Amino acid sequence: MGKVKANAGPLARRPDNSAFKQQRLPAWSPMLTAQTVLPFFYGMATVCVLLGVWLLVTVQNTHELKVDYTHAGSCDKCFEKRKDRANANQSCNCTVVFNIENTFKGDVFFYYGLINFHQNLRQYMDSRDDGQMIGRNKNLKNPSSYCEPFMKDKNGLPIAPCGAVANSMFNDSFTLVYHSAASRQVVPLFRKGITWYTDKNVKFRNPQVENKTLTLAQVFEGTGQPLYWQKPVYDLDPWDRNNNGFINEDLIVWMREAAFPNFKKLYGVLNRAIEPFTEGLPAGNYSVDISYNFPVEYFQGRKEVVLSTVSWFGGQNNFLPIAYLVTGCLILLLAVILTAVWWKFAL
Amino acid sequence: MQAVLSSDYSFAQFRFLERLLLVHGRWSYLRMCKFLRYFFYKNFTFTFVHFWYAFFCGFSAQTVYDEWFITLYNLVYTALPVLGMSLFDQDVNDTWSFQHPNLYVPGQLNQYFSKTAFFKCALHSVYSSVVLFFIPYAAMYDTVRDDGRDIADYQSFALLAQTCLVITVCIQLCLDMSYWTAVNQFFVWGSLAMYFVVTFSMYSNGTHINFPASFPFIGTARNSLNQPNVWLTILLTSILCVLPVVAYRFLLIQLRPTINDKVGTLTNHTGFCS
Repeated sequence: MGKVKANAGPLARRPDNSAFKQQRLPAWSPMLTAQTVLPFFYGMATVCVLLGVWLLVTVQNTHELKVDYTHAGSCDKCFEKRKDRANANQSCNCTVVFNIENTFKGDVFFYYGLINFHQNLRQYMDSRDDGQMIGRNKNLKNPSSYCEPFMKDKNGLPIAPCGAVANSMFNDSFTLVYHSAASRQVVPLFRKGITWYTDKNVKFRNPQVENKTLTLAQVFEGTGQPLYWQKPVYDLDPWDRNNNGFINEDLIVWMREAAFPNFKKLYGVLNRAIEPFTEGLPAGNYSVDISYNFPVEYFQGRKEVVLSTVSWFGGQNNFLPIAYLVTGCLILLLAVILTAVWWKFAL
Repeated sequence: MQAVLSSDYSFAQFRFLERLLLVHGRWSYLRMCKFLRYFFYKNFTFTFVHFWYAFFCGFSAQTVYDEWFITLYNLVYTALPVLGMSLFDQDVNDTWSFQHPNLYVPGQLNQYFSKTAFFKCALHSVYSSVVLFFIPYAAMYDTVRDDGRDIADYQSFALLAQTCLVITVCIQLCLDMSYWTAVNQFFVWGSLAMYFVVTFSMYSNGTHINFPASFPFIGTARNSLNQPNVWLTILLTSILCVLPVVAYRFLLIQLRPTINDKVGTLTNHTGFCS
């Protein structure tokens, strides 16, 4: 890189003879040659096929069972009852029976699923107040106007938690029962530890008050419950006092909007400390006792209960393994075609 | 003097005309066309993904990506690499440009950017957008994290889609660039690194605690990018978007080599041009 400077005279305004200014920078100029492209294609084909096989084996080792309970079993009469909004205050319980053929070994997760419920509608997703949920006192009594029309209740009190997302919270509850030869036994489920760590500890916090002796009901005084709820937010979990308010885990799970209209959300995790569930869910007859509250007829939706084991790869989704296998085969085909073309035309 | 002031180019001696045309003019045409094609490709791809998502979000105009990503995509994540390409790109160096003046012909025939080229670029974008939406959609459909918790939520899907997009358009740029200076390397890898740095800092605890309504994606990067599932989806998307382009270009070089390809093989036995 030679720099020739002249500060005066006829060559004063000549540009520098540097590599940068004369566009002579040292550079790498890669080209698509047969020596690089063909081995690369064969290599990628091998990688894809091997990945596909490995993932397929992993996913086949997970188990999943879905039970659609919209009309099933005795839930038919609950479905009819929920068609009428006037019955919203009345509870309705039903039972669905199903059978597990093969033991679900390992950790088993209990989900509830909704079909055709669009949590990804833009106005629906905007209708929430994250400032209120993080525990800001200012937002507790003054929710954001994005929450309209779920901002104030009919008495003029601000709603906590405001917005359409919280208002439409899923409120069915389930009890899984195992029918062994001798007896029926309630399957113990952990109902906590179902949320992301950051959601539970950062994104959702109860409003902070200086007076630590106040109960949660007193902290939320001056606010109303969402229009479609049967219980106020500070009383969502009567059994665990720490699972109330905005940090209620079911609320947090529901507030994490799903990307697509058919989704499932975690309800509980099998407690494997108790016999006979130490290895997982044993094969046999099961039933789910459901407190059927969430109406799905209005949007032609369906509800289901999902039991699933997981692997390091996640739940039972066969798409990625099969896609890798198909891609590997396509790349191999392409590589063979390219080799044939190169052989015939270039050599 | 007035002629100089009102002209695009001016030079003092006639012998400079050859260099102006065969070297700088040709490079300028090449850079402009590559820039335009790549710019249209990356923005059409980015936009068409929203078209496919419309079928799944009730046509409510919900964006697939985080709003901050949409703002920063053209500003930070893909601005410098394409700028680097349009400033420094050369297909052959100046000496070879003088020796093969017929390299100038593609410019005269308007071959690098025409209605056909634009249409091909749009078609490529449509294909890329189909891959960039439907592969993450199918991979995330009805699945969960390795600890059973949610990964099919909107925020994780947005993060996955935008990471796939950034990585894929970056690889496509790497394919388009034929002259990798140190500045280009810095711009490309720097932009990719910037994407991850900015994403992690926007999705961190501090930003959410201070501005909860503006930065609602807290925890998403940490909770989904540690899943092998997500990275395997990104890998598959990149492969499916990029390998057909490589194959197509290789086939063209073998079956219909252009003047540039022929001169390129002459100059480039070492692969290093200076």
